[in-house]
Formats: sequence, structure tokens, C-alpha cells
Amino acid sequence: MRTTRRVFLGGAASAAVGAAFPGVIRSACAQGAGATTRIGMVLPVTGPGADAGRFALNGAKIALEAVNKAGGVLGKPLEIVTEDDQTTNPGAVLAFSKLASQSDLVGFLGSIRSTQNHAMAPDILKTGKPVCFGGTDPVLTQMGNPWLFRFRPNDSYSARVIADFGVNTLSKKKWAVIHSTDAFGTSGAKALTEALAKAGATVALDQGYSNQSQDFTPVVLAIRQSGAEVIGSYFTFENDLGIFARQLRQLGVTVPWVGSPSIVNVTALKLAGPSLFGTYGVADYAEESSEAARAFGKAYRAVTKIAPDNQSSWTYDAVTVLAMAINKAGKTDPQAIREALLSIRGHEGAEGTYNFDKNGDGLHGYNVVKNDKGSIVFDKRIDFNQG
Amino acid sequence: MDLVLQLLFTGIGIGAVYALVALGFVLIFRATNVVNFAQGEFSMVAAFLMVVFAVDLEWPYWLSFLLAIGGMALLGALFNLGVYYPLRHRSYLPVIISTIGASIFLANTTLALYGPQPQVLPPVFETQGILLGPVFLDSQYLLIIAVTAVLVAFQYWFFEHTLIGKKLQATSQDKEMAALLGIPVAGMIMLTFVYSAVLGGIAGILVAPVLFVSIQMGATIALKAFAATIIGGFGDVTGAIIGGLALGIIETFGAAYISVPYKDAFAFIVLVAFLILRPQGLFGERIAEKA
Repeated sequence: MRTTRRVFLGGAASAAVGAAFPGVIRSACAQGAGATTRIGMVLPVTGPGADAGRFALNGAKIALEAVNKAGGVLGKPLEIVTEDDQTTNPGAVLAFSKLASQSDLVGFLGSIRSTQNHAMAPDILKTGKPVCFGGTDPVLTQMGNPWLFRFRPNDSYSARVIADFGVNTLSKKKWAVIHSTDAFGTSGAKALTEALAKAGATVALDQGYSNQSQDFTPVVLAIRQSGAEVIGSYFTFENDLGIFARQLRQLGVTVPWVGSPSIVNVTALKLAGPSLFGTYGVADYAEESSEAARAFGKAYRAVTKIAPDNQSSWTYDAVTVLAMAINKAGKTDPQAIREALLSIRGHEGAEGTYNFDKNGDGLHGYNVVKNDKGSIVFDKRIDFNQG
Repeated sequence: MDLVLQLLFTGIGIGAVYALVALGFVLIFRATNVVNFAQGEFSMVAAFLMVVFAVDLEWPYWLSFLLAIGGMALLGALFNLGVYYPLRHRSYLPVIISTIGASIFLANTTLALYGPQPQVLPPVFETQGILLGPVFLDSQYLLIIAVTAVLVAFQYWFFEHTLIGKKLQATSQDKEMAALLGIPVAGMIMLTFVYSAVLGGIAGILVAPVLFVSIQMGATIALKAFAATIIGGFGDVTGAIIGGLALGIIETFGAAYISVPYKDAFAFIVLVAFLILRPQGLFGERIAEKA
């Protein structure tokens, strides 16, 4: 073929557009082919949450493979389009906007970070399509945004379980509440303080810290001075949790510690090592809690060769349930998918039994687990109202 | 009193890390008149190199350390050739922007090559620390303080009592005059970049067992080290040390006695106060004049 100037300029322009906007090209091809049902996924590929993003993607991919093996969605293979949220709120908003601009995406997976879901919420409302997310701030599903569906139990449940276990099982009444000052940590601490008051316990110390702290000596010394008998915590990032755990033990604080799910994350266990031995955690995912959890654990280990945790189990459930809802709706109309999601009852997922309530909360209980010399041992499951 | 001593020890320990990274800032600023915003990434890269050699490949710690430091020397040389040298005749601004670009490049290259998983680098000593009465002295912080003291002493001796040190000083004071006197200016600047990369690398390796090894660790340390440099006085070695230690102590005591969530803010309140009231820092010259 002779290369004319028009052909050359056309090719150069296509190459430039292709280089600058790979998502647009990919989207256009997929739309043209119409061969797949596509959903978007906001996840951290860079920034301090990048490790969590890797776990999240693994869980979603395992579910994707299972969905497609079972016939896909609406007779077509399911496809996930991802965007990096950079573990920041502006990054999450930008990532969601990029995905939302692709009109053929029928639903989305949001963030595991509450603060990022808060940042994206106005755009989610404007986009008007279902978003499955993992942030545990209870407020997220109480803002009147009909498109938010939570695939982890919220912190009003985790707080009640932490308080119940600490007060009634460990018999500790004087608490130190340690939490991140982000949306997740603040709302978790508030819920825990309320739950402790109801359980008849007192909060001797309520101590927030900012994420990415390099030193927790002042926090540990404050715990020591408060005379607290037990620690309840809401840590957002595993790095912070690891540094705190190490300094806590070094400075001689040996009181029991019951933490939010990050205390049993794979990364936290690796970083903190023996400093976390003997601690308790509430875990939305516990491998021995049910048949479905065991099956997911087996599938996850087969693919990744490492133990699963809640960072991958919620995306596994979200992809599975979203695919199920679209199939149940029989069409990609957002309102029909929303209604199908809300009607889900008794679905056994890796994280527990899904019964969506009118707010979009799918799960209503937590597992209590113990770190037994580095192994996470399932203790019991506590479920509350079933929506 | 126990509380004060414990906080003081931790403050000095974390401040020593800031001081080490701040020394790297100062050296490059003295030699080239630009701020190297990739100084923190040097720490991060060195920590990852240690993880690769000592943890992944399970090579002896001393060998891994030598290889990591050798790697940092090479990185410093490449940094000079790729980031500073091509822009050396421009004003300071393009070079500063170039160092910011290099810091992003180093962080993302490490992310792409190694992955996002935070890593654990075992401490040099098996024992976690010493209990001196009611005060716990973390062995890693003790090592950090000791190494910082040795490096500062070495640097003082090197600059004041060796011919190369004096040539480096002459280069930093007036490049054209130094060239006229027969000093190989390009070589001296190359040496400065190599040495500051090694300094940043040592800081990263020392702090890795305390803060863990992650892509973000460099940026976190560098921001504080930069503040320490301004407090101490840009271009002044003593200032970098005093500034780093002061910053570590201020933020630790501020967190304990005023507010933990605002710990980072104390450093920057002090920084702003210095910029307004004493822009030359504790020991340095006016930034505006130098820049």
C-alpha cells in the first residue's frame, strides 16, 4: 500500500490519541464489538493502599473467572475495567469520573476506604448506576444515596462486636480507643464509644492519630498513663498498625487488644509479626467461618499461594453478587439492577450471608478471631438484624 | 520525668534520621545551588535494595549493606549525569523540577519492579533494645544516633582536613573560580551526588526496621528532612543536624503534650515561623540570596 500524506497523518493522529487515551480506544473497541458486559473498578494501584489494591484485584479476578465459567452475564462474558485511585480522595474522584464517562459500564466497584467513597459519592449520585463498595463508615449508606451497596458489615456492627467481646468475654471495663483521624477511624471510634457506653464500660483514653505516622511513642505513653485495661482500635493502614504494635510491646503495654479488621490483614500480620501475637480482631472474612468462606479461601490460595483476607473477599463477593443481580434483572437498566440487588436474600458469600436492607447494607455481623502465634483462629460469628 | 526521658530519646532517634537525610539536601545545595527533591527516594531505593539482597536472596547482612551502598553510589552518579548535568547551565528552577520528576520516576520504577507490598527488614541487632530504668532504648534508634554522630564527625573531618574536601568546598562557593584554579568542578559535583545518595541510602537502611520498607517511606522522611534543613539553615551542615534533631524532639513532645493528630503540623508551624522570622535558619544564609 502506498503511504499518502493523508494515510500518514491519519495514522499519526490515531497513534497520538491511542497513546494519550488508551481507555477511550479500549472502550470504543469493546462497545463496537458489544461482546462483553462491562463493569468498572476503582482501586489503588499506587500510593499507600497499593498493596490492598493488589489483593482487591485478585479477589475480583477470581470471581470474574467463576462468573464467566458459569455462563457470564446476560449471555456475554463479564469484563472489569480498572482505574487507579492513587489511594487519595482526588485520585478516587478522577478514577470514578473516567469510568463513569464510559457509558457501557453497567455497574462499579468502589473503594475499601470510607473516605474515598465519601469523596466519590456526589459523582456516584449523578451517574445513577450501582456502586458496590467496601468502606465501613455507617454514614455512607445513610446519606440517601440509592446507588451505594456495601459488601462489608459497617462499623456500627464491628463496634458492637468489639465492645461485646471485650466487656463480656474478656471482662474489661476501662478502655483506650485508638483510631485514625480519617472518616473510617473517626466513625469507628465514635461507634465503639457508643457501644462501650451501652455495655457499661468507660473510655479512659480516646486517641486519634493521623495516617502515615512514623512514631507512636506519645500514643503508647498516653495508654500507659490512662490505666486502660484493654485497647480497642480502628487502624486504616497496616504500616501504622505495625509501627504502633511494635512500640506498644517495646514500651511494656501488655493489656489485651481488640482491633478492627485491619489487625488480621495479611500485610499487618507480616509487618507486625510477634507484636500482634495474642491480639483479637473482628474480621468480616474468616476462612473457617462458613463453607462459602472456606471455598473462597481454597480458590484464593490456589491462585495466589497466600492466605486470603477481607481485602480480597469483599471484591470477590461484590463481583459475584453484582453479576447475579444483573442476570436476575435480565437487563442493564440501573434501576432494575438496583432493585435486583436490594432483593437479594440469603446469598452465602465469602464474607457472610447477604441480606440487603433498604439502605444498601448487605452484611450485618462480624467474626471474632484471635492471633494465635501468627495464625488467625476463628472464634465465633456474631450476627445482628438481617435487614 | 520518665515520660520526658522516653520522649526525648524517641525524638532524638527520629530526629537523627531527618538529620541524615537533611545532610544530603545540604551537600547538594552547597555544590549546585539546587534542592534535590529525590533525596527521600534515595532512602527508599536503598531500603528496597537491602530487602532484595538480605531478605529475598538471604545474603549476609554486611554483604547486602555493601552492595546496597554500592548501588546507591551508582544511582547517585547516574542521577548526576541524567538529572543535573544536562540542565546545569540553566537556572535552578528546571533542575529542581527535574529532581521532582526523578523522585516520581524512582518511586514508580520501584513500584513496577518490586510491587506494592510493604516489606520487613530485620534489625541489625537481635535484641530489641535496653531498659534503662523506666526508659526503653530501642536498639535501632541507638544505632541510628550512633551512625549519625559518626557520619557527622567524618563529614567534618573530610571537608575541613582533606584536599578533596577543600576542593568540594571551593566548588560549592564559586564554581568558576574553582575551575580557574584547576579544580575538576564536574568531578566534584559528581562526587557530591554520589556521597549524598550514599547518605540518603544509609538513612533508609537504618530506618527501615523501624518504619518498614514501603514506596512511601522516602517521601515521608524527605518532607521532614527538608523542613529540618530550612530550620537549620540551607547549606549549613551543623544546621541540618540541629534542625533534624530539633524537629524530631518538637514533634514528639508536641504530640505528647498538645495533640497527636497534629503531630506533623508542629514541624510545619515551626518551618513557617522560621521562614517568616528567620529565613536564613539557625545557622545558614538567606535562601533568597543563595537561590
